[in-house]
Amino acid sequence: MPQFLIQFAQQHEEFRLPELEALATIENVRMTYNPDAYSLESPFLIVEIESAEKAAQLLNRAILIKTITELWGTGLSWEELIDRVKEHPERWPQYLQVPFKFSVVGFGGTIEMKDKPELIDRFAFTGFMGKIDLKNPEEEFLLIADYGIDPNVKIAHTFYMGRLIGHGKRDLIEKFNVKKRRYIGNTTMDAELSLIMANQALCGPGKLVYDPFVGTGSFLMTCAHFGATTVGSDIDGRQIRGKGKASIQSNSEQYGVKDRVLDALVFDVCHAPWRRVKGGLFDAIVTDPPYGVRAGAKTLGRKDPTKQATGPRMAVEEGVHAHLLPDYVPPTKPYEMSEVVADLLMFAVKNLVRGGRLVYWLPTVTEDYTIDDLPTHPCMELISNCEQAFGQWSRRLITMEKIKDWDGQAVALGPPTGDMNKSTTNPKQQGHFGFRDRYFAFGIVENAKRKKELKEAYHKGGPAAVAAYMKQIEQKKKEEENQQQE
Amino acid sequence: MRLITHNMLQCHVKGCNANNFPLELQEVVLEQEEAELNEDFLRNMLGKLEYEALVATCLKLDINDLPATLPADAAYNDEFLQILHRVILETHIKSGKMICPNCQHIYNVRDGIPNMLLAEHEV
Repeated sequence: MPQFLIQFAQQHEEFRLPELEALATIENVRMTYNPDAYSLESPFLIVEIESAEKAAQLLNRAILIKTITELWGTGLSWEELIDRVKEHPERWPQYLQVPFKFSVVGFGGTIEMKDKPELIDRFAFTGFMGKIDLKNPEEEFLLIADYGIDPNVKIAHTFYMGRLIGHGKRDLIEKFNVKKRRYIGNTTMDAELSLIMANQALCGPGKLVYDPFVGTGSFLMTCAHFGATTVGSDIDGRQIRGKGKASIQSNSEQYGVKDRVLDALVFDVCHAPWRRVKGGLFDAIVTDPPYGVRAGAKTLGRKDPTKQATGPRMAVEEGVHAHLLPDYVPPTKPYEMSEVVADLLMFAVKNLVRGGRLVYWLPTVTEDYTIDDLPTHPCMELISNCEQAFGQWSRRLITMEKIKDWDGQAVALGPPTGDMNKSTTNPKQQGHFGFRDRYFAFGIVENAKRKKELKEAYHKGGPAAVAAYMKQIEQKKKEEENQQQE
Repeated sequence: MRLITHNMLQCHVKGCNANNFPLELQEVVLEQEEAELNEDFLRNMLGKLEYEALVATCLKLDINDLPATLPADAAYNDEFLQILHRVILETHIKSGKMICPNCQHIYNVRDGIPNMLLAEHEV
């Protein structure tokens, strides 16, 4: 099979192969490669694909692929590369007369301008006689020198020559740039990742895609851009309504996907009004659950269950039930991250079609994370798990696929969830348990004063003093919480 | 809110598990808005729609275009798909009430956005 050289963007490296696999599935392209030859440190991957037409299909909606090139040769030096290219003269004749150009590019190093013409001349043996057209060539041939990512290395280690198949769709990142979007919130996902998620979910024409934590609707837009029809919900109606002319609706108009963004509804996904459809309603679920850093997750109910009403409450106005008033907002309570994730997985099991995908973000504390933290379910297969690291914490883009129908029994499995203080028999907690509290404990968002105090405590009394200080902070926080409740 | 979305919703008040679909529409203000025909999507949804309930809901809204039963060749019946498209994707409920036929819970639609939140005694 013909070989092709993929040059990825040197960005979100862990997401590149999963996206490539998703693209191959979406476009129905058979592709093989040697996973051992791939490294997160290099943007290059050689793949075998049946034809150039099929290879081009991978570019239709690729976000993390910069270019795909039909590979004519590779070597450890220009000399070796030239020898390899010369082994296949049968490739050249069809390009003898077409307008063309050669481009010389270095990755991780620079090939000087003055050296380029000479390099190109060394490939004159191909005998191309077409017009050289630098602006609109019919074919572009690439000479690539890979210096690697180490800035101290001044010599290229691998050389490639090939015919450019095309570029990915990285310009979409600019189109969906959050800075140019009319309506955003403080938890709006950046454009590049929103687009990658749409690919991971295999979004395409005809599919129905749902975001249960829709916020300002980023995923409704990117998934609809690739042809899917989308619908979202959120417990917070203010986000959906937006302000004045800035709303989910105005965004769908801005991106020209109004016809495919069905609706955004106000409800709590724990109490979802979707009619149960045999075989599943949704073709994909794409979401970023609020994990409590910038917006805490909420669910319906009262924190103190003894205070929760069992029957309709009367409003101050006599004879009217409070919940019937037009501006009634039901009470909500905090929704622990580990519960959110377990519930989301169960929701997917019950409401996805077979073959449908769940794509969601899971925050984890880097130090505590293990693969066992991922909740699992016998009906759901893990497709990929890509980390975006932020030092002490990360978030992981989890992609799962529903592989069989639910028997109505099996529940989501994972490490114990629930209150850490109560479940003393299960000391191991998920890496995302109590995520919000621990995130704040890192001091990432704490004010400078606190950081300074912490440092001073450490200098005075070492780890013990730090522990005492943290305890003090916790005590203060508890007091504040109690005050709030009163 | 489009009529297709209404067809996907049922009452979900705690304990309300039977006769909770379709939600009855009252005092609704409708609006027609043109949209591009999306045959792939309509075909996907044919098996997911509750067609009988859709027809019944439409009749109450004086929308009489849909045939009483789903045509056997629905997926490739261009004329039918066009009508279905107009009814479920181009017809929007701008405001009104959706009432559960069983427990009588009222879900309000305002500015085209349905409020499906439950009261605290209903969860």
